Amino acid sequence: MEKFAQLGADIAKLWSKYGTSHYLPGIRNTLILALVATLIGCVIGFVCGVLNTIPHSKNDPPVKRFFLALVRAVVRIYVEVFRGTPMVLQAVFLYYGLPYFTDNAVKFNSIWAAAIVVVSVNTGAYMAESVRGGIISIDPGQTEGAMAIGMTHVQTMTSVILPQAIRNIMPQIGNNFIINVKDTSVMFIIGFPDFFSAHRAAVGASYLYFPSATVEMAGYLTMTLIASFLLRLLEKHLDGSSNYELAQADSLTMTAGTYTHPDRGTPFDEHSKEYRERTKEALKNRNGSTRGER
Amino acid sequence: MGETILEIRHLSKAFGDHQVLRDIDFTVEKGDVTSIIGASGSGKSTLLRCINLLETPTGGEILYHGKNVAGRGVNAADYRSHVGMVFQSFNLFNNMTVLENCMVGQIKVLKKNKEDARKSAMNYLEKVGMAPYINAKPRQISGGQKQRVAIARALAMDPEVLLFDEPTSALDPEMVGEVLNVMQALANDGMTMLVVTHEMAFARDVSTHVVYMNQGVICEEGAPADVFGNPQQQETRDFLSRFRNA
Repeated sequence: MEKFAQLGADIAKLWSKYGTSHYLPGIRNTLILALVATLIGCVIGFVCGVLNTIPHSKNDPPVKRFFLALVRAVVRIYVEVFRGTPMVLQAVFLYYGLPYFTDNAVKFNSIWAAAIVVVSVNTGAYMAESVRGGIISIDPGQTEGAMAIGMTHVQTMTSVILPQAIRNIMPQIGNNFIINVKDTSVMFIIGFPDFFSAHRAAVGASYLYFPSATVEMAGYLTMTLIASFLLRLLEKHLDGSSNYELAQADSLTMTAGTYTHPDRGTPFDEHSKEYRERTKEALKNRNGSTRGER
Repeated sequence: MGETILEIRHLSKAFGDHQVLRDIDFTVEKGDVTSIIGASGSGKSTLLRCINLLETPTGGEILYHGKNVAGRGVNAADYRSHVGMVFQSFNLFNNMTVLENCMVGQIKVLKKNKEDARKSAMNYLEKVGMAPYINAKPRQISGGQKQRVAIARALAMDPEVLLFDEPTSALDPEMVGEVLNVMQALANDGMTMLVVTHEMAFARDVSTHVVYMNQGVICEEGAPADVFGNPQQQETRDFLSRFRNA
């Protein structure tokens, strides 16, 4: 018990010394970096995913076929390289590699730019595959329906396929965001002031490794839990209402409109309180009937 | 006879080594209601999909107002906007409401403004009896209702000819009637239609022209009274005898 009291005291000490100077700005920077990089990564992923799914047929002119094959190869290499190497190394490679090769002519002027580029490009590589999966999961009939009314490939994509694909890959986007909240911690390698670097700064002076790690664990978990919750809300919002209003109120259409819920208002409406109670009663009596007394 | 809209000349289609269509020839004139009948696998749907360029023909020509659209360098999207298509599986856009389904083509392809698109969409939705459901999503309505919306969506593009690919085959029996009624009303209004169907009553009573396909070729064609009343080919007689009692 006294160990916990000790831990509490140490955390309080850490917080009073580093809370507003390191931990809180660290949380802010981590969230901004994760959010911005996820958004840019999604854009990269969508561009790559769409480029990868442009239909090609043997009847296309050779120039177009060559160009499409080239695009696909480039996207493929990008995805494999950035998915297949650790982000911490990519950060070092880009941040120190650019000035190394160009004799300081090309380098990142701000640590923010470097961090955003590395995390975005990394997220984009994962998202490219998710988007491709999202697009090919949409029923080909949707594309045919759009083509049949004369839409071009771009119109079909933007109006019909992508809105549906985005909904399907929302969980993936959320996944990537949460991974980014945690994995931006490796950006300390190039000196980015994120939440984890606050830990390094704090323990460097105080040697309170475990108390500071506890703060970090609680901080990261809080961020990811809030993110999960918000993402659920967003998904629910995207799904829209499960109801719809009839544009006219005559009795025929009123009954026809209950198609998705045919028993509404009858004794067999499974959502009604009465039905549920009757079911409970029937189960208690174990006579197997949910339809009441005959 | 009226003005010729579509002329199919020596059309053929092969999937690999499998020859699905061979030397198909026929003409669609303004106001024609042509029914294409035949057993499953005879190439009816492939023919229709070739006419809308959803499949690329491997040979022959499709002349639309005298211009071949089956060759290279043709703007397929532009051609398709004049040739409506209704699918067996509806293919309504799942991310849009009934009304948006009927507006999106007018806005994106025909570049109409929202107000005009809405007016015209409402007009056609009323025609197919789906006006009360404009706010519903496709997943919330029944198969027959979906197909009626799909017809309204195709009509809203103001097409010169409407292609129907087995529009009632995926429907419960009690919903077939509502779709056939809409199609019959269209035919009465003078809409040019090309219908692949298993509904022999529709082919016999509504269409002006019947094409019987067998194993990738047109086996017999003519006025419904002739094809149904006095079929010349043995295959046609065999095929129709199965529907005699229907």
